[in-house]
Amino acid sequence: MGLVPGRAKRLESVISICLLAILFLIGVGVFIKQFNYNMSRYGIDTATISKLETQNSKFEIPFELSSLVPAGFGTLSEVEVYNSENLYEKINGKAPLYIESGFEKLSTQRFVSINNQSLWMELYAYDMSTVKNAFSVYSVQRRIDSEAFPPMQLAYKTGNALYFVHGKYYIELVGSSESGELFRAIAEVARKIQANLAVDHDTGIAELAMFPQENLVLGSIKLYLANAFGFERLTNTFTAEYRSGNETVTAFLSKRADSKDAEAIAESYRDFLIENDAVTKSTTNKTLEGKVMDFYGTTEIVFTVGPFVAGIHEAENQQAAEKLAEVLVNKLNSVNNE
Amino acid sequence: MKIIQARRISQVFFFLLFVWFCIVSTVGEKLWQLRGWPVNWFLQLDPLAALGTILTTHTLYRGLLWALATVILTTVVGRFFCSWVCPFGSLHHFVGFWGNRRKSVAQKIQLNKYRKPQRIKYFILVFFLFMAAFPSVAASLQVGLLDPIPLITRSFNLVLLPIVDRSVNLTSVAGRFYEGVWVILAIFFTTVFLNLLIPRFYCRFICPLGALFGVINRFAIWRIGKKQLVLRSELLRRVANECINCKLCEKSCEGGCEPAGNMMRISECVLCFNCLDDCEENIISYQTQPSLAGEITNPDISRRGFILSLASGIFAVPAVRLSNKLGSNWYHRVIRPPGALAEKEFLKRCIKCGQCMRVCPTNVIQPGGIDGGLENLWTPVLNNRIGSSGCQLNCVACGQVCPTSAIRPITLSEKLGTDEFAEVGPIKLGTAFLDRGRCLPWAMDKPCIVCEENCPVSPKAIYTQECFNTIRDGILTIKKVSDNTIETIEDNLSLGKFATGDYYCVVEGDERRKIVANTENSIKISPDKLFEKIPTGGSKIEVQVRLQRPYVDIEKCIGCGVCEHECPVSGKKAIRVSAEGETRSDDRKLLLKH
Amino acid sequence: MSEQSGKKLGRRQLLIRAGKAGISIAAAGTVSYLLYDAKGPKTGVEDEEHVTLQDFSVQHRLGQTMSIAKGSDRVETLNKAIELLGGIERFVRHGETVAIKPNVAFASPPMLGATANPELVAEVVRLCYSRGKAKKVIVTDNPINDPASCFMLSGIGKAASAAGAEIVLPKAHLFKHTTLTGGRLIKNWPIFFEPFKKVNKLIGIAPIKNHHRAGASMTMKNWYGLLGGRRNIFHQDINTIIAELAMMVRPTLVILDGTEVMMTNGPTGGSISDLKRANTLIASTDCVAADSYGCSLLGLTVSDLSYLTKAEKANVGTTDYESLKPIFATVS
Repeated sequence: MGLVPGRAKRLESVISICLLAILFLIGVGVFIKQFNYNMSRYGIDTATISKLETQNSKFEIPFELSSLVPAGFGTLSEVEVYNSENLYEKINGKAPLYIESGFEKLSTQRFVSINNQSLWMELYAYDMSTVKNAFSVYSVQRRIDSEAFPPMQLAYKTGNALYFVHGKYYIELVGSSESGELFRAIAEVARKIQANLAVDHDTGIAELAMFPQENLVLGSIKLYLANAFGFERLTNTFTAEYRSGNETVTAFLSKRADSKDAEAIAESYRDFLIENDAVTKSTTNKTLEGKVMDFYGTTEIVFTVGPFVAGIHEAENQQAAEKLAEVLVNKLNSVNNE
Repeated sequence: MKIIQARRISQVFFFLLFVWFCIVSTVGEKLWQLRGWPVNWFLQLDPLAALGTILTTHTLYRGLLWALATVILTTVVGRFFCSWVCPFGSLHHFVGFWGNRRKSVAQKIQLNKYRKPQRIKYFILVFFLFMAAFPSVAASLQVGLLDPIPLITRSFNLVLLPIVDRSVNLTSVAGRFYEGVWVILAIFFTTVFLNLLIPRFYCRFICPLGALFGVINRFAIWRIGKKQLVLRSELLRRVANECINCKLCEKSCEGGCEPAGNMMRISECVLCFNCLDDCEENIISYQTQPSLAGEITNPDISRRGFILSLASGIFAVPAVRLSNKLGSNWYHRVIRPPGALAEKEFLKRCIKCGQCMRVCPTNVIQPGGIDGGLENLWTPVLNNRIGSSGCQLNCVACGQVCPTSAIRPITLSEKLGTDEFAEVGPIKLGTAFLDRGRCLPWAMDKPCIVCEENCPVSPKAIYTQECFNTIRDGILTIKKVSDNTIETIEDNLSLGKFATGDYYCVVEGDERRKIVANTENSIKISPDKLFEKIPTGGSKIEVQVRLQRPYVDIEKCIGCGVCEHECPVSGKKAIRVSAEGETRSDDRKLLLKH
Repeated sequence: MSEQSGKKLGRRQLLIRAGKAGISIAAAGTVSYLLYDAKGPKTGVEDEEHVTLQDFSVQHRLGQTMSIAKGSDRVETLNKAIELLGGIERFVRHGETVAIKPNVAFASPPMLGATANPELVAEVVRLCYSRGKAKKVIVTDNPINDPASCFMLSGIGKAASAAGAEIVLPKAHLFKHTTLTGGRLIKNWPIFFEPFKKVNKLIGIAPIKNHHRAGASMTMKNWYGLLGGRRNIFHQDINTIIAELAMMVRPTLVILDGTEVMMTNGPTGGSISDLKRANTLIASTDCVAADSYGCSLLGLTVSDLSYLTKAEKANVGTTDYESLKPIFATVS
């Protein structure tokens, strides 16, 4: 019992509640304060900077495109993603090529040099579902004036761009100009992709090693997923260019399920040629007996070796064609015997 | 509502606010990232940091003005900060309460009695203040070592948060690393667990901030004490309450200030109001009159102790500086963040709060050890091997969060040396030095230009010079040459080894030709340069590797450390940054300015 | 009654306390206001007090700018050379304080010729006192090696003290920062300043030496001893720094000692064989002219030492010493 305890207690309550009110106001003040900020104080594109942490981790789909920003560059635009339905909005007439080749998704982004706004690049990352698909779209679009880009195997570069296959991705890095500095940045992005984008490396493309090496024009191997040479049954067909004197000769091969299937395909392809006015030619080569045809003045050779359908396509010179065909036969035989 | 309920709510509120500030200190725009959150508020409210920097720099920097509010409020109402705001204090309060809750009343009263060692915190305060007091001779700001706000900020940001976040990945995607912080954790846990011995151990015996409050609260208008009764009649006096000496008020006394005793120690009272709540006779109150039983307003320190701390403080800095770590014996691996002041000035301002380390997006800023000198402890030092990439070119986050401007808040233009800073040039943190004995193209005949590729400045500070070296066992004998294929007598070549585009061959004085492929016993050269004169069998061919050997252009190198980070020689890097050439120091220049 | 007085007492105590609290708050507030700094440190480099070295030169006299005395005895040639320029009295007035800055760069024995000759230094000191009637003469330098050892081993310390001069060794607080107007390298750089602050005249004494980096070390290079800090950084642009030193230091008189010239392996030399006797001593009020003549004793020409033309372009002196009509004399 104290002197007028009730009043004291009430005073205590009032003060306590006032103090809590002050706390509430502090909370509100802090909350309001956090709206008031200017991110550029911390440097350009802090979103990029804070995402840089992901560089050290292996990322998968969808991969963090902005973490690929090369040194001295920032992002110029947002990441754009396209599927088969709206792919044409991005690449217009080229869309069917991809869509028919197993296209899943396209992710793009542009990077621009901090110091020089005129230097920028666009990254196109096509998810083609499989390595073979990626290789196919990569190889059939290969520019004539391209150079190899070592140490990358499936890659080539032009004056302002770099194209390569990374697992199931077909990557295009296109620069705004033929600048050495810009290309270095492009190379850096390519390296980052190689280092950090997790892909299934076990599925390689076995057929690439099945072509004989001698006289092969490097980088000429193409993969037609379907409709090779206009024949719909000729799917999964690889072609390669060979040097013969001053000309090139095209060889092709396609691995089928088994030799029976190979025979069937070869047979029907020959029939297809004959339907289109091809004529069987005679040949001095024993192994190619019956396999050599004349198609509007060019030589077409079609044969099978085990599960492979292979041959020479539209060669100018029959002798060169036959010579190459023989080499191809030997090579495929040795492959089969491994 | 009871006052202690308000106090508890306040403690929880400020503790959660503190933890929230720790969580959001990641540069970004999401609600749980930095945005405009005032993450330095606790550090700014801390008057010890403000007083320390006033002594060392004779200025009160910007946000530290908040400390004036704390000082004014403490002068008027007493040490409210300790019980109502300080997150470290709340932690001690809680652990002390939890750990001792099952003890008997008598035991608790015994735990909370005033102990002489409570004067140690005043000596610590004097020691630190005098270390900072003479900037013209030698002054060092070391208050951050024991100041509770930087201490708890360090402990949470550099230890607890990275550990917890590893599984949650909210504040960082890849997980943060901080060197040597087990010491910080040890100190943190020790102080927290000492509460099981004596409640609020740190607050009572060590905390220099509490000591500062203890000094300035002597004129507080309101203080805890036994009520002075003003009675209107003799009758009331007989039923009036008097102190029966039950000592219940000391059962939960947080400050060890003896409200029950004859002399209430004002300087120790942390305004927890537990005594007011525990007193069943309603004797204890928060009042303007001094305690009925008497009160002591001054801290209980002896003159001897005071003089000893003073002298220690004055001598400590010059003694430490005899190692000449600020002179010619400076440690080259102390690379400070961009915008850091020259070392002497830096040490006058750094309170070792660790905010720069917390906010650095690439995790390259690390707490320093004592190898750079005792004063280097827990100051920001760059370690380019940790984190995602050295000091990112376009980032100036560290200076923006430093509460005392030990790291100045620079603009990007100043860092990069553009616009109005174009004449001065970019800020250099140091210079990269190539270790030619470890660098792949220099010492191992292996092509590599990762450092050059990653150098972010334009034009690059790393350039290369081409050189061709004959590889080991690289002299081969030709068997036959056809077209562009050279068959060799040696048949143990590694298949495809020379196909990477880096290898060339030279046939006896002829031109160098690029190798595009090879088998075990043949080499294929590029068809672009076929032999004009076919070499004969028996002639020698040298296989050479094309190396691009890097050089550092020290005029352009800004010491950002990206090269060191990317160097594939991942243990002891073949290119390492050290602080020579840093712009912040006049006496560590490598070059004359041109 | 007691209650009321009790109340009054309590209230008075409260008011006193409130007053004290108010004063502390006011004090804290005032300090905060006065020291408030919204901007923070600018570049973080300590703000240094800036000084400028004064001009110690005397009135120009046509035909008495440079003198060359030939002879084998330094004391004699020195006296002759100074006499030809009007005597020490022209340069040192009664009651003045004189600073002598010899080359004491190395802790090297005098006979190796890497430092100024101690006898020569002592003679200059003596002349200042006896003829010039100087009040005080100090001898000072900021050597490359340890100062105390340099003054001792070069013999200059003992010789100068014996002649009555005060040796001033360099100490950290004697250095102040300076910026040379029109200079590119000497910007906010510490120089050995304090000893020269209260001095009226400055005399430089240097031997003629070959210098591996600069080509030659003579009277202009001698002023390198005034630089503090990590001055070896200037070796990257040695000719500019020497020229800027000549711009910064305007002495009363310089003595260039070519009695024994260090022909090779300069500036430290190390072997007697590096020296060649040339028996020449030059006194001049124009450092550039003195050095331009002196380099011939090394077998060099003005164009070999680009700092000479640099200094001439900055109007410090002239490389065409002939135009000054130097006075030649031989002392037997």
